[in-house]
Amino acid sequence: MIIYLLCLVLFCCGIYCILRKRNIIKIIVGIIISEYAVNLFFILTAYRVGGRAPIFSSEAEILNMVDPLPHALVLTSIVIGLATTALLVAIAMRIYEKYGTFDITKIRELKG
Amino acid sequence: MMKGSIIPLFVAIPLAGAFLTSFIGKKIEKLPDGLGLFTSFILFVLSLSAVRLYNIHGILTYSVGGWRPPVGIGMVLDGLTAFMLVTVNFVAFCIVIYSINYMKKFTSKWKFYTLFFLMLAGMNGVIITGDIFNLFVFLEIASVASYALVAFGTERHELEAAFKYAVMGTVGSLFILLGIAFLYGYTSTLNMADMGNILATNGINNIVLMVSVLFLMGFGLKAALVPFHAWLPDAHPSAPAPISAMLSGVLIKSLGIYAICRIFYNVIGINPVMSSMLMFLGTLSMVIGGLLALRQWDLKRLLAYSSISQVGYIILGIGLGTPLGILGGLFHLFNHSVFKSLLFLNSGAIEYSTGTRDLREMGGLAQRMPVTSTTGFVGAMSIAGIPPFSGFWSKLIIIIAAVQAGRYGYAFLAVLVTILTLAMYMKVIKYAFLGNLQEKWNKVKEIPFFMKLSMGILAFVCLVVGLVAGMAFLTGMDQTFIHRASETLLEGTRYAGIVLKEIK
Amino acid sequence: MNLGNELFKFDALANFVGIFITLFSLLIVIYSFGFMRQRKGMFQYYIYIILTLLASLGVVFSNNLILLIVFWGFLGLLLYLLIGFGQKERTPSTAKKAFIIIGGTDALMLLGLAFIWKIAGSLTMDKISIALNTKVAIWTYLCLAAGAFAKAGAMPFHTWVPDTAEDAPTPVTAFLPASLDKLLGIYFLARITLDIFQMNGAMNTLLMGLGSFTIIAAVMMALVQHDLKRLLGYHAVSQVGYMVLGIGTGNPIGIAGGLFHMLNNTIYKSCLFLGGGAVEKRTGTTDLDKLGGFAKIMPVTFVTFLIASLAISGVPPFNGFVSKWMVYQGIIDTSKDGSYLWILWLVAAMFGSALTLASFMKLVHAVFLGQRSKEQKAPSDNRKETSSSMLIPTVTLASLCVIFGVFAYQIPLKLFIFPSLKMTDTVFYGIWSPGLATGLIIVGIVVGIIIYLLGTVAKTRETEIFVGGEIVKEHPEMRLSGTEFYNTIKEMGFLRTIYRLAEKKVFDIYDIGKTITSGFNKVLGTLHNGVLPTYLAWCLLGMIILFFILLR
Repeated sequence: MIIYLLCLVLFCCGIYCILRKRNIIKIIVGIIISEYAVNLFFILTAYRVGGRAPIFSSEAEILNMVDPLPHALVLTSIVIGLATTALLVAIAMRIYEKYGTFDITKIRELKG
Repeated sequence: MMKGSIIPLFVAIPLAGAFLTSFIGKKIEKLPDGLGLFTSFILFVLSLSAVRLYNIHGILTYSVGGWRPPVGIGMVLDGLTAFMLVTVNFVAFCIVIYSINYMKKFTSKWKFYTLFFLMLAGMNGVIITGDIFNLFVFLEIASVASYALVAFGTERHELEAAFKYAVMGTVGSLFILLGIAFLYGYTSTLNMADMGNILATNGINNIVLMVSVLFLMGFGLKAALVPFHAWLPDAHPSAPAPISAMLSGVLIKSLGIYAICRIFYNVIGINPVMSSMLMFLGTLSMVIGGLLALRQWDLKRLLAYSSISQVGYIILGIGLGTPLGILGGLFHLFNHSVFKSLLFLNSGAIEYSTGTRDLREMGGLAQRMPVTSTTGFVGAMSIAGIPPFSGFWSKLIIIIAAVQAGRYGYAFLAVLVTILTLAMYMKVIKYAFLGNLQEKWNKVKEIPFFMKLSMGILAFVCLVVGLVAGMAFLTGMDQTFIHRASETLLEGTRYAGIVLKEIK
Repeated sequence: MNLGNELFKFDALANFVGIFITLFSLLIVIYSFGFMRQRKGMFQYYIYIILTLLASLGVVFSNNLILLIVFWGFLGLLLYLLIGFGQKERTPSTAKKAFIIIGGTDALMLLGLAFIWKIAGSLTMDKISIALNTKVAIWTYLCLAAGAFAKAGAMPFHTWVPDTAEDAPTPVTAFLPASLDKLLGIYFLARITLDIFQMNGAMNTLLMGLGSFTIIAAVMMALVQHDLKRLLGYHAVSQVGYMVLGIGTGNPIGIAGGLFHMLNNTIYKSCLFLGGGAVEKRTGTTDLDKLGGFAKIMPVTFVTFLIASLAISGVPPFNGFVSKWMVYQGIIDTSKDGSYLWILWLVAAMFGSALTLASFMKLVHAVFLGQRSKEQKAPSDNRKETSSSMLIPTVTLASLCVIFGVFAYQIPLKLFIFPSLKMTDTVFYGIWSPGLATGLIIVGIVVGIIIYLLGTVAKTRETEIFVGGEIVKEHPEMRLSGTEFYNTIKEMGFLRTIYRLAEKKVFDIYDIGKTITSGFNKVLGTLHNGVLPTYLAWCLLGMIILFFILLR
């Protein structure tokens, strides 16, 4: 149970970072943190008490194994996260070129 | 299996198009145009044949890689899917025609087409997939491509908008992924049909409700429902006009509204609380989007806010949950795709000729740009719900449905927002096209041929759909194409049974 | 099921309105040949006119409410396009305003239509009969009536009419706001009041109240106008009051009077606008201060204008008198249910009629009588009557005014009005025989002339210069333009405030709406401050609220 809670704490840290930090790089970091929190949670759904790795072997019949699917899914989602992060960082760099600042509250020409 | 083999083509063809454009389009100048036109035309024809196939055979499925669902990834072609495919691919086709001329002012057209087809692949993927994680993956493909496309101009405003859009979009995706994780943990399956079955037998409990909130937020953000809408008025105006048209026209619908429909109707199963939640959010978006649009002077920003407002109509119709409401919502979805794309292309045409988006600087352009102003007028009348254009009928159906369901307040607000919509588009027409021509626009030229053609097609569709819908409305409307789509939603969680039976 | 019968029907009321719609369209087309000559885009103009004719006939003959609303909305669009042919600076704004008011009330009609479907389960008009005993039914009626009111230009949806009258090309004004929109608006009001709903006392009283208020308020506004077409525009509003009043009485004679007044008003109001247009074409202005003395230059126009003015003021033996008379009788008839409100309505209607006469005295004086203003003292080649294509319609309409007045019973009432209401005959209170009365009036005038001639022999009395019953204060040019008439009204204490507020457009429903929305706009605009964390905070806040609601 405690591990789920830690996962939640991590997620909240990420969200806090997105909401409260002004530096856009920190916002991106916040996004990454909460993304990993979600990934972690997804992995946790695979966990079975006393389960073993889902590897077939001829030695013994497997009675209790963890769910292999979420691992595959999380790999995909990590890759997606990577793409998003790369794009965000690239945009952040360009923003710095144009606006000369990383402060999100100063990048507000579009409003109303 | 043979019957369903058309389905994966909707993802494969645009992906191939994107790949080819980036691979060889770099070297040959005219190639990206031709390739883009060819690809999108094939997709459009395929989507029409998908409708025909669906009408003949009913629901079709396809198992990716030969792994049978629920273990493998399944793709499903049903009424709603066919309907959405036609909408998306038709609009995409028109937009590619338009881009041939419009995108000349940007360098490296091939990058544009690559991203465009990636986005299209993502949207088509979201629509045809039967697997919830696969839906998430395609949704992210489309989203990431759209973030990049918003930043395509790489000027100050484009970058700012793209950043805000990307951050908010990513946060939305996070919550969707979280919801999927919860659902997977609860049902141990990812196939939407299978999931629907399990959820239907287990009944509604707190986990399901929590997941539905997460999805409502995540997909609501993609659909730009108030209060999750704030990225849209920045992102849509900043993109190049064809992309604005694509984003407002179909992206928010396939990623947001389609996903909401599919998940809330066919997987989780709608219940009264969620239904009233959807209606409330829809009405809120409708009113707030309408009010905000009215005060804009930037033409594209006005159109963007108006998209929020119109999405509100669609969600209101769908949220009503009655046959008529869903029919109206989906019909409005189609109409809005057509006329909002048209209007964005129009704004692009004005920008192309005059270089401004500020309504106060325009005026009298009707004298110099007759095609643009006529198509713009048709689009504006259509969205404002003036008979006999298409928007009138869908709004009428939604209002009637709201009254039939006893939601008088929502019906009244829908009517009020119709007035607001009319007012804002009268403002556009008055400032952009009517009045006296300013001196600096004396040398403004009408836009090139392909842009005219594309806008002409869309305007024609507005009018024809309006007339056909009128005939159908007066003579009975049981056999229409949208009707099939709304039936899919009405079948609700029984969808699961039908799809699974088809697979086995 | 025969679809044709479901969608269209040709009963007496529809036929009657349809015939006149066609007639007016024809006259306007003839007039436009003269008036709109040498302008750009005339091909489109005539296309729009023809489409308007078709759409109006569609409204009148459709039996299905959806079909009706489609044509109805399309008419709003055509009105917008036609106003766009005006050449003034403010024309686009006016067109926009008219279209927003009309389109907005059309949207309300959609709501009403949805309610009807909910209540009656059908949209075929002759199958619906709804009693006004539930809240929903009352709202339905109000929604539909709002559409009719906006089209006809009754208060509170009237504000587009005077603006349109001022800024649109004259044939367009004469065509849509003055004739077709009146016919259609009142036609629809009659339809819903007579066929679709079963009226009750309260609703009738409301209609009559609105009608009376429209008469008085609009005519008061008309009194102080300085622009020929705008003044006529306010009268176009004021006259609708009589029709609404007549239909609101709920008794046969009143309703017949209301419908007859609709017809009459269309005739003389088009005639007035077209006559005004002839003057405008000749001089290029409609400002009353700059006009004057046209009776000599344009005698035919003057006579037709005069006839129409007398008709609108309800002077016997012209048609306006007969229909007003019938409306009065209808009002008196409502006294049967024991309430005393009828006195109020009657006073309003009669007083309004008097004020109409007064304002037309001003108008006729300013345009046709008096001296010509300095600017208009043009060379002598100007001394021509207008072209024949512009005269034919005005003369036709003026003669209709006379014919429908003198032979009121024999022609219009018997042929059109009574069959539409399925009445065979009706009882007139008092003795009114138009033929005899005309004779008496002519005798009276002759006697008057004789007395006048005799009177000139008698001693005269010297007094201050006065005109129209008022002392003339300033006359620098020794010229009375007529616009100074009734300026004293503007200065009367209570009325002064009202006029001042009216000038600020406080009573304009369009401007009220504008103010309210712009208030919301400002708040919402400042909320969208461009700061990303704020936007994200909304998202999370929204989500938390959703959690609270769903997981309660």
